[in-house]
Amino acid sequence: MEIKTHISVKNLNIWYGQHQAINNISIDIPDKKITAIIGPSGCGKSTLLKSFNRLIELQDGAKVSGKVLVDGEDIYDPKVEVTHLRKKMGLLSQRPQVLPVSIYENVAYGPRIHGIKDKKKLDEIVQRYLIESNLWDEVRGRLNSSASKLSIGQQQRLCLARGLAVEPEVILGDEPTSALDPLSAECIEQRLLELKNKYTIVLVTHILRQAKRLADYIIFLYLGNLIEHGPAEEVLNNPKYLKTKNYLEGKFIEEPKINKELNLKRTAYPNNFVTAKLALGDLEFGHIVKIIVDNESSAIEIPKAIEHEGHKILEVRKLNQNDWEIVVQKHNGGYVI
Amino acid sequence: MNIRIIKENLVRRTMFGLCLFVFSLVFLMAFGLYQKSKPILAIISLKDLLFSSIWHPTQGHFGLSSFIAGTFWVTAIAVIIAVPLSILTAIYVSEYASKRVRSFAKPIIDLLAGISPIIFGVWGIIAVVPLVRDYLMPFFTKRFPFFPFVSDNYTGFSALTGGIVLAVMTFPIIISVVEEVLRTVSFEIREASLSLGATKWQTIKYVVLKKARPGIIAAVILGVSRAFGETMAVLMVAGCALGVFPKSIFDAAYPLPALIANTYGEMMSIPLYDSAVLLAAFILLIITALFNMAGWGILLHIERKQACG
Ligand SMILES: Nc1ncnc2c1ncn2[C@@H]1O[C@H](COP(=O)(O)OP(=O)(O)O)[C@@H](O)[C@H]1O
Ligand SMILES: [Mg+2]
Repeated sequence: MEIKTHISVKNLNIWYGQHQAINNISIDIPDKKITAIIGPSGCGKSTLLKSFNRLIELQDGAKVSGKVLVDGEDIYDPKVEVTHLRKKMGLLSQRPQVLPVSIYENVAYGPRIHGIKDKKKLDEIVQRYLIESNLWDEVRGRLNSSASKLSIGQQQRLCLARGLAVEPEVILGDEPTSALDPLSAECIEQRLLELKNKYTIVLVTHILRQAKRLADYIIFLYLGNLIEHGPAEEVLNNPKYLKTKNYLEGKFIEEPKINKELNLKRTAYPNNFVTAKLALGDLEFGHIVKIIVDNESSAIEIPKAIEHEGHKILEVRKLNQNDWEIVVQKHNGGYVI
Repeated sequence: MNIRIIKENLVRRTMFGLCLFVFSLVFLMAFGLYQKSKPILAIISLKDLLFSSIWHPTQGHFGLSSFIAGTFWVTAIAVIIAVPLSILTAIYVSEYASKRVRSFAKPIIDLLAGISPIIFGVWGIIAVVPLVRDYLMPFFTKRFPFFPFVSDNYTGFSALTGGIVLAVMTFPIIISVVEEVLRTVSFEIREASLSLGATKWQTIKYVVLKKARPGIIAAVILGVSRAFGETMAVLMVAGCALGVFPKSIFDAAYPLPALIANTYGEMMSIPLYDSAVLLAAFILLIITALFNMAGWGILLHIERKQACG
């Protein structure tokens, strides 16, 4: 089955002042699926998420390079109207942020600022999205009372309704259940599962079980780098690389100790593979070599071929526009083909 | 025996005592003023004192109404000018200005707040008085020859002049408090509004200002309270002519604080004079207190409404 791409990230770099929070990430986010961004705290999950609706621009000193294409359109193009883009992207934040007005006005806020004035139409919108976010039954009798009186869980559902009311295409969630009690969290999860037929959902979470329950697609970030991505079953049950494996098992993630570096730029596959193979032959069992190549086909083929030789691929990572890094651990000598 | 607990008790009692002292000062002051103004209240009815505009101490006429009206004129003009301008300025500084502009603006505003009133007074005489005399008054009396713009006071020393100077003096207080209040509105709630596709101005108008409203009201109360009591600068530019009941913004105004500062301690041989002036002080205290209470009442009402809808 062909997977349609909704958001396409190309060579994205984000800096906060001198600190680089996102390091050359390229990735496609599938349409009408739940994509979970996982990774330890501070690895750049929120930063990546906020680059999708350009909220990142509000941060002091934030600088973005690269492209984010939504429906094929580069959102960082100066011609793009940012309010129009943000209307396409609903946001659920970590703590529900209700506006200091009534429940009704919270949901009607979005449609109002986009020009809907007709009271009957607004009533209808408010009811429809409160139902869709499963809050209607609890608040139908007190739509005009203050939203801040609701429980945190209800507030988050209200925020969901408010986001849906502007008819977005994408729902961005930044750990939307982390401030909620288990029941409310489950309620939100249930909503998201139902909504994924209509919306593309990108969900930042540091709860692995939540990713397991919800995600169709996983993106694993570590220190601003894209370590691994792919269909949820593959990444969660059968991760390719060491860091992913360690993270999923709750182990400490450490940088592998590199015993040798091999610069194979400006050579093509399979010549560079032969060089790598010879170098691995000289290495002690269990030692680690880092190979740098400068074309994508090598970055795809060399790991396969090396794995075939019985060695272990610890990591494959894009360094910048051109270069890729492949980290290989020599087999332990237990078996040689 | 536990020294820590003794210390704890000692600290608590001392603080309670100090707190009590400060509170009681206010009441003692009010009580003292009331005691001192009793003699005149015993002879002339409060109604005459409040509503008569005849001030002839030597003949025993102590009508305070023109002074009360003067106070209201000057304060009202100051508030009408200062509140919108300073709130807009605060919005600009806190929401739109770049970091660099803000780092300039803040110290300048604070500097403005620290300047001595007498300097504002001098500035009023050399800059605002001619402005009112040569431009504002001819313009308004020609274009709008009706209340409250008609006046036969062509000196430029007027309620409007006092109001303008007072407005400039209250700017920094209101700006700096409002700016602070706006900055307490959380970044996340702005994000929430912006993420729905709202523009920055929509976000400010519907979310930030709404959240900040109690604080803004508090800032205005603070500013107006200052305007009520400010003496020196107003005294220098507002005209302070006796025997005029101000009916126009271009009439000379003689606010209560100016009256007290100008006359208390002089001509004490005139019977009841000092009692009348202290009554003026008592009235000023009451007006300010009432205004403050009304302000805080509104604030409380809004806060309660925001809290429970
Ligand atoms: N406004 C900011 N200014 C400077 N550094 C920031 C800012 N926001 C985040 N960072 C840094 O960027 C990195 C990524 O942050 P974030 O995207 O919030 O991580 P996550 O959501 O995965 O916990 C962290 O190291 C964090 O300290
Ligand atoms: Mg985060």
